[in-house]
Amino acid sequence: MGIMLTTPTYRIRKLDSITFDDLLREQDPFGAQSPRFDLRQVKFVTPAAMVQLAAACHFLDRQERRATINLSGTTVPSYFLRSNFVNIVRPVAHFNPPFRRGALDAFDHLHGSNQVLIEVTKIETGQALQGLLSRIVDVLIRNLAYPEAAAFDAVIAVSEVAQNTFDHNDETCGFLAMQVYGQGQHRFLEIGVADFGQGLAATLRRNPLHAGVQTDLEMIERAVQNRTSQHHDDQTRGTRMYHLLSIAHQHAGSLQIRSGGANLRYRGDRRQGWGRDVPHMPGVHIALTLPAVFPTP
Amino acid sequence: MEKRLLLKEYGVQLWTRELAKEVRSQLVVLLDQLEPGDTAVIDAAGVQVFDYSFANELFGKTLLSLPYEYPGRFLIVENLSPYVRLNLTKALESLGLAIIERTGGELKLLGKVHPADEATFAEVAKSREPLTAAVLRDRLGANLNAINERLTKLTNLALVRRERGVSPAGRELYLYRVLA
Repeated sequence: MGIMLTTPTYRIRKLDSITFDDLLREQDPFGAQSPRFDLRQVKFVTPAAMVQLAAACHFLDRQERRATINLSGTTVPSYFLRSNFVNIVRPVAHFNPPFRRGALDAFDHLHGSNQVLIEVTKIETGQALQGLLSRIVDVLIRNLAYPEAAAFDAVIAVSEVAQNTFDHNDETCGFLAMQVYGQGQHRFLEIGVADFGQGLAATLRRNPLHAGVQTDLEMIERAVQNRTSQHHDDQTRGTRMYHLLSIAHQHAGSLQIRSGGANLRYRGDRRQGWGRDVPHMPGVHIALTLPAVFPTP
Repeated sequence: MEKRLLLKEYGVQLWTRELAKEVRSQLVVLLDQLEPGDTAVIDAAGVQVFDYSFANELFGKTLLSLPYEYPGRFLIVENLSPYVRLNLTKALESLGLAIIERTGGELKLLGKVHPADEATFAEVAKSREPLTAAVLRDRLGANLNAINERLTKLTNLALVRRERGVSPAGRELYLYRVLA
């Protein structure tokens, strides 16, 4: 039986990589004695927010705290089931109301079959990533008729971000999800990757070159520059964020990098990013949207 | 002697630094068998894509270590698709490195290369005989110091090989060549 709830006061209808920070600000799940994410007003969740939520629940679990995710209606609970979010999060969080036993496996037969959705996937090793990345290529080329080069660019971006989640964190993992939205000229894809590791600041400060950088925002700005790495003795490191941003620019996409208490957002083909302070949360969270690409006639 | 590594044996889509480490360990086995002047060929036939992490680990690390661990050996790539060539170029540019690509019988450089260095490399590469800095000075119309600087840079990047030779007058000099 679920916990009794008062009327929700939170007004977030669309939970995405931007409003996720509003959610943290309003509900303060990390500071609360009983952490909860009240999503009862939420009608729509993007992949980037979903992986952020997964990372948040797993982080709380690592602190031996169990989050409660409050839901209402059928749209969001059903999306959470279909996108594998429930399977990923249920071991570390409560859902309120809880999912019925029959509902939990209702979408099992559909896993992997949705042409426009890469379900929430735990990323722990490069080996596991290889199959997933090739599957995303397949979805983009076969199902969405992306030209090969555009599909490869998108998946290279995913690969670079996803590898960061386990390369820089020993005892945590990352989560990845992707969804294609819209039709025709309005079609775009969103990719979300989030972990609950040490974040950019702690990682990059291992390199004496970056030890003096004070704020999370400065560290994110530094991370997108070429060859910014924790490894001062390895010249081949530190190009991932740089290439990620290049791909976002090349395709006039948008990129948001969140780490610690800051968020840096790049939009369209503009070279300048917009930074802002956000509630502190461990890990690095990436939201990348790329406009649809159509085959040349 | 040439030793060949077929990248396709590891997949047509090559993702992650982890996979590149596996490939690089095989490349090191090949390089260990080479003598100065020999060549290791990375054959990318059939490979559709690799990510930057893969490129940095396989190509970047090998190119950085080549002049010190395997002096005089060459590393070249062949059979790159247009997409893979473009991405390898971007990866090497971001690392400040370059590699020799062989297409047909032609050798050219991919990556971060100054046009003057590229011209010097092209001149050495098209010559059947090893060349001295003085010959290159005459052919390229630059001063000897500039030519020597370019040759040192290309040698340090393992893109040309420096050998000791003797001039007709009996003076010791350096000769430069690309591949055997």
